[in-house]
Amino acid sequence: MRRPTLPLYLLTLFVAVAGLAFAQGHVPQPRDQPNEDPAAVARGHSLFKSTCGFCHGEDATGSRAPDLVRSPLVNHDDHGNLLGPVIRNGRPDKGMPSFSTMGDAQIADIVAFLHHQALAALHSRRMPGDYPLAKLLTGNAEAGKAFFDGPGECSKCHSPTGDLAGVAKRFKPIDLQQEMVYPANGKKDRTAVVTLKGGERFEGKVVHADEFNIGIICQDGWYRSWSRDEVQVEIHDPLEAHRELTSKYTEADLHNLFAYLETLK
Amino acid sequence: MAPVCIGADEGLNAQDLMKPLSTDWPTFNGDYSGKRYSSLSQINQRNVDKLTLAWVVQPQSVGIKSTPLEVNGILYFTTPDNVWAADARTGRIIWHYYRESTGDHIGNRGVAMYKDWLYFETPDCHLISLNAKDGSVRWNIELADPKLEYFSTMAGLVVHDHVIVGVSGDATDVPGFLESVNPETGKIEWRWNTEPQPGEPGSETWPQGTDAIAHGGGMTWMTGTYDPELNQIYWGIGNPNPVLNGDIRKGDNLYTCSIVSLNPDTGKLNWHFQPSPHDTHDWDAVQTPVIFDDEYKGVHRKLLAQASRNGYFFVLDRTTGEHILTAPFIATNWAQGIDSRGEPIPNPKMEPKPDGTLVSPGSDGATNWMAPSFDPQTRLFYMSARRLWSIFYMTAEGKPEGWAGRDRNLWANSTLEAIDYQTGNIRWKHEIGDGEGIAGILTTAGDLLFTSDNSDNLLALDPATGKTLWHVNLGARILTGPTTYELDGKQYLLTPAGGLIFAWVLGK
Repeated sequence: MRRPTLPLYLLTLFVAVAGLAFAQGHVPQPRDQPNEDPAAVARGHSLFKSTCGFCHGEDATGSRAPDLVRSPLVNHDDHGNLLGPVIRNGRPDKGMPSFSTMGDAQIADIVAFLHHQALAALHSRRMPGDYPLAKLLTGNAEAGKAFFDGPGECSKCHSPTGDLAGVAKRFKPIDLQQEMVYPANGKKDRTAVVTLKGGERFEGKVVHADEFNIGIICQDGWYRSWSRDEVQVEIHDPLEAHRELTSKYTEADLHNLFAYLETLK
Repeated sequence: MAPVCIGADEGLNAQDLMKPLSTDWPTFNGDYSGKRYSSLSQINQRNVDKLTLAWVVQPQSVGIKSTPLEVNGILYFTTPDNVWAADARTGRIIWHYYRESTGDHIGNRGVAMYKDWLYFETPDCHLISLNAKDGSVRWNIELADPKLEYFSTMAGLVVHDHVIVGVSGDATDVPGFLESVNPETGKIEWRWNTEPQPGEPGSETWPQGTDAIAHGGGMTWMTGTYDPELNQIYWGIGNPNPVLNGDIRKGDNLYTCSIVSLNPDTGKLNWHFQPSPHDTHDWDAVQTPVIFDDEYKGVHRKLLAQASRNGYFFVLDRTTGEHILTAPFIATNWAQGIDSRGEPIPNPKMEPKPDGTLVSPGSDGATNWMAPSFDPQTRLFYMSARRLWSIFYMTAEGKPEGWAGRDRNLWANSTLEAIDYQTGNIRWKHEIGDGEGIAGILTTAGDLLFTSDNSDNLLALDPATGKTLWHVNLGARILTGPTTYELDGKQYLLTPAGGLIFAWVLGK
């Protein structure tokens, strides 16, 4: 049977909606430093520590002298056009000595380092996907297992040798910690039983449910929907248990359970 | 003989702004009180199911987060970089101003209007005055340095002959402020800084002898309210910096996360109250400080109420800032009580940590910037609340700068709430579904409450009970608040949804 092509108006609508979704979910993108050279940043850091660190702090976050990460001069500087003269001439009125003998290459390295520091601060609101496991592993795995089998009631639905076998290999640590409390894609597992006025029952996966309508995909693969004032609806959400548990975790439970799940490799 | 246009000036007069919200919508919240309660009642409970589409305008834009103004038959609405004027009777676009810019394009709440002039804030932190007749630029000033990651999103507030504007930006540790500019020239008249100078009152709430106070944040994201009789403006202030780590800024950090009362002519502080002392979760207290006069314990008072990002509802006497009531509007887990000032006491154990802290609400808040409403007939405060959980990670090593970490959302669902301001009790809840609600609320003398749920449904509710009276699916989220106005004896309901604007009237 010939596959029908998607009507053009639907395609346009999809593109418009997708674009809109992107706009609505827009995470502000901080400015990016073009072509940051890691070697220059490293050399600059080393030079900065020995030459400037005594006053400005080894990481440029300030000590006797200002925090350069927040400096308007650094933020306006373009490849050293503003910073170079200040480094060479110093700020005699503020007690900064001049480094008139510093070479162009050295100044460029320091400038690269300072821009890197400013950018790192700006980017500090990004959560790195490779957040180190060592920072997260503050709990006790045995206590976590006791929680899993006991008050957490996780074993009612999950098994370390069944669905959770190797779970620590499937997720990055930071993602596992999040999934543990609430799986990101769990909404697709909601099911519903819809009973019509005449008594006929339909059962299937919930596609959409709101105050006014219920839409499900039945076992035969067809989508069906009803106005909610015409039918009785029972929705079964396996994630209800996760939502109820969220407010019950103590801080220790959270880290212990995570430590236990991290052993499931 | 050439035809002439004779008639009153179609611009906005100062007296128009003093009126309670009725036939026009001349300022961000409709009127100075922030109640978003319209006295129009042509559309009411008996005929709301007869609402029909009057027109749609499709400006080919990103999602519209602005509240459109309506003045003398012309609508003015915005997105970042864009201002449109449209015919309020037909939706047809009259003119379109576009100025490309750098900076955060997260949203724009709308323009302010004074006589024949509009005032537009931009992502690169400029304030531009446009001629309302044709969108041409009169002047363009920089409010703050965009290279320090300041940007601006606010719809300014015109009070007397002042245009009061604010700034945004907490990605870096820069100080927040509110300022008044001359509406004709753009020259700065006064600036009120969120952080006091060392030695000034409030400075004792920052560590002494460090630069923390000079980098403390406290952005002025949203439009405030104004009492012409008391001549006070009321403003909500944003969170302190560094955002998720308060170790280098021990203390309450005034006036971040505060409600402040200022003199609009001088910028002098009258009083303050702090919904989130020493915040470490990004809980800007910038929600509308709604003002209304009503009885409390049998005595007629001048009140101010805010349902704040952190999950707490506050009622103050706006004359002096005297605390009247504090009550949670949703369950949260971060405070260990309320102190004698009526301010929540943050639990240090709930601060973001390197291994993750499970907190409700998340940084997106138990509510956010969407407009609340107060209906003087029902005497209820309406707001959109979330049950929201996040894990907060403090990632800074060494001195914290900027956000110093991030939270990751776990799950959320939302509910509309009607709060009895006299007790803090929730009179009714109306669940609006999974995810974070973002639509604002409008109430009217037609005994109607208009808003949207999280499934793109425009809702008309009974404000007394929360019962749904009418709905229609708009196919997109309402990212702003519904508004209403009247022209030629016909009441219009305006509902921007996604990048379109729908206008509704009663069918014949």
